[in-house]
Amino acid sequence: MSFIPGIPVPIGGIEKKLGKLWDESGESKTRASLINLAIYNEKLGSLERNTEITRGIAGEHAMRAILIEADPKAEGSSAEAWITMHCYLRGSKGGSVCSEQISFQLAGMAARSLQSVVFSHLDSDLPLVLWWQADFHPPIDGKLWRWVDRLLFDSRHWKNPKEQFGLIRQISGLAEARTVLCDLNWARSLPVRQALAAIFDVPGNLSELQLLRKIELDHTAGSRTTAMLLVGWLADRLGWSLFNPSANPEFRDAQGNIVSIELRENEGASISRMNLASENAEFHLLRESGSDLYVTTAQGANIVTTTRILRAPREETREILLAELSRGGRHPLYTKAVKAVEELWE
Amino acid sequence: MPSPIVNPLREGIASRLTPEPCTLVIFGATGDLTHRKLIPALYNLAAEGALPPALTIIGFARREKTSEQFRKELEESTRKFSRTPLNEELWAQFASSIIYHQSPFDQAEGYTTLASQMDEADRNCGTGGNRLYYLAVAPDQFPVILSHLRESGFSTATQGSWARVIVEKPFGKDLKSAQLLNTLVSEVFPECDTYRIDHYLGKETAQNIMVMRFANSIFESLWDSNHISHVQITAVEPLGVEGRAGYYDTSGAMRDMIQNHLLQLLTLTAMEPPTSLSADAIRDEKVKVLRSLRPLRGDDVFKHVVRAQYTAGLIDGQPVSGYREADGVPKDSTTETFVALQVNIDNWRWAGVPFFIRTAKRMPKGGTEIAITFKSVPPVLFNRNGEGLDENVLVIRIQPDEGISLRMSAKMPGSSLRIEPVKMDFHYGTSFGKATPEAYERLLLDAMSGDATLFARRDEVEEAWAFVDGIEEAWKTRSDDLAFHTAGSWGPAEAADLAARHGVTWRRM
Repeated sequence: MSFIPGIPVPIGGIEKKLGKLWDESGESKTRASLINLAIYNEKLGSLERNTEITRGIAGEHAMRAILIEADPKAEGSSAEAWITMHCYLRGSKGGSVCSEQISFQLAGMAARSLQSVVFSHLDSDLPLVLWWQADFHPPIDGKLWRWVDRLLFDSRHWKNPKEQFGLIRQISGLAEARTVLCDLNWARSLPVRQALAAIFDVPGNLSELQLLRKIELDHTAGSRTTAMLLVGWLADRLGWSLFNPSANPEFRDAQGNIVSIELRENEGASISRMNLASENAEFHLLRESGSDLYVTTAQGANIVTTTRILRAPREETREILLAELSRGGRHPLYTKAVKAVEELWE
Repeated sequence: MPSPIVNPLREGIASRLTPEPCTLVIFGATGDLTHRKLIPALYNLAAEGALPPALTIIGFARREKTSEQFRKELEESTRKFSRTPLNEELWAQFASSIIYHQSPFDQAEGYTTLASQMDEADRNCGTGGNRLYYLAVAPDQFPVILSHLRESGFSTATQGSWARVIVEKPFGKDLKSAQLLNTLVSEVFPECDTYRIDHYLGKETAQNIMVMRFANSIFESLWDSNHISHVQITAVEPLGVEGRAGYYDTSGAMRDMIQNHLLQLLTLTAMEPPTSLSADAIRDEKVKVLRSLRPLRGDDVFKHVVRAQYTAGLIDGQPVSGYREADGVPKDSTTETFVALQVNIDNWRWAGVPFFIRTAKRMPKGGTEIAITFKSVPPVLFNRNGEGLDENVLVIRIQPDEGISLRMSAKMPGSSLRIEPVKMDFHYGTSFGKATPEAYERLLLDAMSGDATLFARRDEVEEAWAFVDGIEEAWKTRSDDLAFHTAGSWGPAEAADLAARHGVTWRRM
């Protein structure tokens, strides 16, 4: 491969070589680690892309990064490893804070033996965050997930969401798993959910929430699952039940009123616009193309017309990952949101 | 009490109470605090979407200016003091909620027009009749403002809304004035609606003291007189009075730092586990610590407290003048710029454990920390020959470089047995790279949400003053105890002697 992810090391000598690296680095470098972040990918070239990502987040979230490029379907077995460090200057004294990175390229049997080949190199006592960048394959291996404290994945990239959400449900149901499920697509929708929630913090607007009749949502071509998760979230929070599972689905609210949803593909941010119409008012959320701001507006009879501007985070993987890692905690509403629209997954 | 807003979309989005729509009236809006701290904090909260969607900020001050001029000035200061860069669009939106209200504090008419502005905000912005009054003025202005707030009916919330007041320190200059002030405030606002700000309590590390103590089993089991030899709490800075001479010379280090910030840190360090995380459960335990402080009176003060003043010296290699040479300071001032004291907490947990508290200006470097020194291991095995193994020291650094370190003993590599101290160090900035919010951001949000946990309660403030008054009274009886130290030194020899009497040396910061 053209990209070399650090110093090559025999897998049995990783810890020793890392120790030597630290010895040679002098006193100006400080090792820091909050988590083990393992990133699993089955595509060739993923080590380079993921090294960029870990380099991008190490300055704000110290960790031991473990990158895995795996080809589990290959014949035989092969395993190679590299080590490197990501260092950042900290403070006025010129010292650096460094995160370690171990990269693996595994094929065949080695790729199917993550527990012995890879997880023996975890920084003990720190949580394991596993970012699974591949599809989940049945059957689910309960032993693997027992190791994992937080499982990151991104439903936006799934070609078969119905099957993948089913497998995720299996993982979350494993008796031995204590894994927290973190869909980066759910994290991606958080700023939109925050901005929407803020609209209804105004008491006058809040009463309209139960009277919503139509939702229009603009999303990019690759963000339909993000849009669906948002719809699922609204449905769960507002007690809607799906009765017309179509491309533009319809729900009934608790009083039996119809709430229609229109999902539209558009360019710009993954979710660039949401229009919510109630019986008496309209609420809008807009992120202009290229803008780092959300503008929300509320207008209608008996409510105070308001416009609000909020900072919209960049939608780069680094930002979403950092937000998710910093936020921590479980995501109980995620499972409910997925369930509320499960008939819509294709 | 109004029922909280229940917004079903809020669940799972934030783990804190949602601040409610309100009008924030800042008295003393042209002052330093507003420009350096309050508005930058509010701007950052607005940018993050953390403020209530309907918020009107009314700056109330005496100087003539328009709202437009006021906003322009605030923009400049926010550009300078905000922890995040100013975004023009965000600022424009945020600034549109700011109004300037010019009036002397003692004219009823000014409050009548304020009422109109607040009512207008309710009608046009949906602030719902909720009012938060921030007294960012000198304490001598409190009575006149509070009495007008009462007379104007501002302190009484309408049905379904609330009226709260934030009081900036100093909360009085002694127990009597604090009681007077508290009585004055309590005649206008009930205690549950009174928020006394001590910004130290809004700092992340101060908040983390309780987490460290009560979320980790290893510390709390050692947190008593059986295991701890002494505690040092230090807050020092290289700065002088820097234009605050008028206030500082009538206050001094004891009133400016010990009575509030450092006694608050002491209570967090020494308190018992609260029964819950409610504001009152925590403050109940803090006040018990203050009540357990052994009073210092009369001659005891001169045995347990050292006061001093800095003279001309060098800071960072640059010459600096002495305190008495500073602009606005009388040439014969006896105001202390350095205080070191040793206190005892007479309760079951801390009997026999001396607490050393130190604060000073013009020290070689600045910092605030709490250092817990554990008892030495028994004089057997490695300590048999009295070779002086270093004690374990747990240091909680409040600022700068917030973090926690633990000093332990370890064997030096080699064939001989040589034991040396090693330090395990946790730096917030190293592990959590992102910038932490300013203390005022957290505190303003808490006040809007009705969470008083990080604010001082009346009894806390008065107990602290009762303790400090004993010292101040003794100081009035003589002045020959005032020591002097060179600026840029670590304090007078008398402070070192105070610690040495307990077999302790002050920590190098």
